[in-house]
Amino acid sequence: MDRIGIVLVGAGFIADAHSGAIDADPRAELIGIVDAAPGRAAAFARKQGGIRHAPDLDTALAWPGVDAVILCTPNDTHAPIGLAVAAAGKHLLVEKPLATTVADAQRLASAFQAAGKVLVAAHTHRFYDYGRAVKQTIDAGLIGRPRLVRLAILGGWIWPDWSAWVGDPQRSGGHALHNGVHLLDLATWWLDGQPASVFARGRKQTAAELRIYDYLEMVVTYADGATAVCEMSRAHRPGSIAQRELLVTGTEGIVEQGWDGESSLVFGESGTSTLPAAGGNGFAAQLGAWLDTIGGAPSLMPVGDAVRAVTLGVAVEESIATGRPVAVMA
Amino acid sequence: MTRVALVGNAGIGTQDHQSSMYGPAFERHPGFQVVDNVDEAEVLSIALPLAERGKAVADAVRAGKHVLADKPLAATLAEAEEIERLAAEHGVVVVPAHHQRLAPALRSAIGAVRAGRVGLPWNVQCDFIVAGGDPAPTGELVNFGLYPVDVVRALLGLEVRRVHATGSPDLVTLLLDHDHGVTSTIVCGRVPELRDVPPGGLAVHRYRISGSHGVLAVDARKPALQVRTTGTNGPVWTGPGTVDALLDVLAAGIAAGRAAIGPHDAVQAQRVIEAAQRSMATGHPVETKE
Repeated sequence: MDRIGIVLVGAGFIADAHSGAIDADPRAELIGIVDAAPGRAAAFARKQGGIRHAPDLDTALAWPGVDAVILCTPNDTHAPIGLAVAAAGKHLLVEKPLATTVADAQRLASAFQAAGKVLVAAHTHRFYDYGRAVKQTIDAGLIGRPRLVRLAILGGWIWPDWSAWVGDPQRSGGHALHNGVHLLDLATWWLDGQPASVFARGRKQTAAELRIYDYLEMVVTYADGATAVCEMSRAHRPGSIAQRELLVTGTEGIVEQGWDGESSLVFGESGTSTLPAAGGNGFAAQLGAWLDTIGGAPSLMPVGDAVRAVTLGVAVEESIATGRPVAVMA
Repeated sequence: MTRVALVGNAGIGTQDHQSSMYGPAFERHPGFQVVDNVDEAEVLSIALPLAERGKAVADAVRAGKHVLADKPLAATLAEAEEIERLAAEHGVVVVPAHHQRLAPALRSAIGAVRAGRVGLPWNVQCDFIVAGGDPAPTGELVNFGLYPVDVVRALLGLEVRRVHATGSPDLVTLLLDHDHGVTSTIVCGRVPELRDVPPGGLAVHRYRISGSHGVLAVDARKPALQVRTTGTNGPVWTGPGTVDALLDVLAAGIAAGRAAIGPHDAVQAQRVIEAAQRSMATGHPVETKE
């Protein structure tokens, strides 16, 4: 069987996770790397054993054996680059969010549908062990009909400095689009719900001069009356204590995982920190699912769900700005 | 010994907290003596149906009696405010049964937060979820929503200025805005009966207080042992009882002329509950207009 030839676009830190997933899957082959900074592209290529590298997408799309693209560039570039990938007739795995506006997200969805190619947004938490286990627990009927999701992903500051594009809402779409969509998608997927409204609060905790909210509290009310309370934080101190907490209540039971449900705790001379358990590779599982879909299997991360996540993320930013709930027709 | 008479054996729905909680606690408390004759009593323990409760408390205060009142203190904010006014006028102590804030882990947490152990607090998250037992015909927001609201007030020392509520009266999410941009969120309600949780017991009762210099994570179901047998797996409480601690508050309040928990706490909690009801009805945030 021919391997799926993949080009990575964007040599930032998340590219390593994707290239690691490609290395682990015999169905995939990393053809080359694209980055607007030629030196960074060349360095990444050397690290990968001398793969091709280029500073522009057009060159890479013309390389022989390229079937698909993994896009890891700043969020505001997802739409224009993604549309170019569709026009070239390649499959696309795009880092979340699918786009920074609903219109762009829909445009991408339409373009790939018209091209007959597979578009998947990297909502990786669907492929993490805990995300799948909660979904399986709910789908098995163990807690009846789910009515409430509480999901918190909390940690300290991770972005390097004031120049980080994530901190620029024009480039990232804001924190709700950049990281919030992970939780908005996961909770909605678990609930299998139809979002009706969003109410959100944001806080610039680390510095008053921040242009994005490093703490987000996003509450989604669903058409059936279910509720999701999602917290996404890079504001919690100390940053060495990464916390993920979840609670789902249903008509027949509850499922929960506290902050210590997966991590161990290190009490050291240099302080206290959490130590996540070794486990499955969510990026590899995500890549495998994308390859399955390219091969004809149903998508585990449908494009419509990625558009919905953008819709919810945009609603979060609007709700924070207005202080009011925002109706959504996702 | 302070003489106390037990008035009423009812509450919301099938509740009889007098028989299950207050009466036994008075019987075992060294500072109180239970008497049958109301006229002989200096304290009335009032556990009447909610519709009758506020008037009974007000009448007791007018008669110069101290009161321990089942929660909520009264059915409406107006009634609670009138009781607060009357208690001040007559110089008696009224203690509403906001005993959850006296849970050992929460007493420590309140002290730690108010002492700056996490820096300036900027957010509190709370889950107060009961499993099994009889659903309250009023909805659980009215039944026990005041408990976590009261705890959050005690943790922060900040009143609630705005409320947004979503969900249903039996499982509600309250999004509260306080002064200084501080926010809190309370998930409160009842889920079905769960194995190894006594009917009506707390399945989840926790708080996360985030501050400028740290985080305090509190499981208010502790201190407890985890006991596992061939047929069971559950916590065994090892701390002092919260109702016993409430009677300590009452006794100290009678001695001092002012209790650590009083009708003002009931007024402020009821203000939040009624704002939440208005928010649920309109779908929008509601100012508490305190």
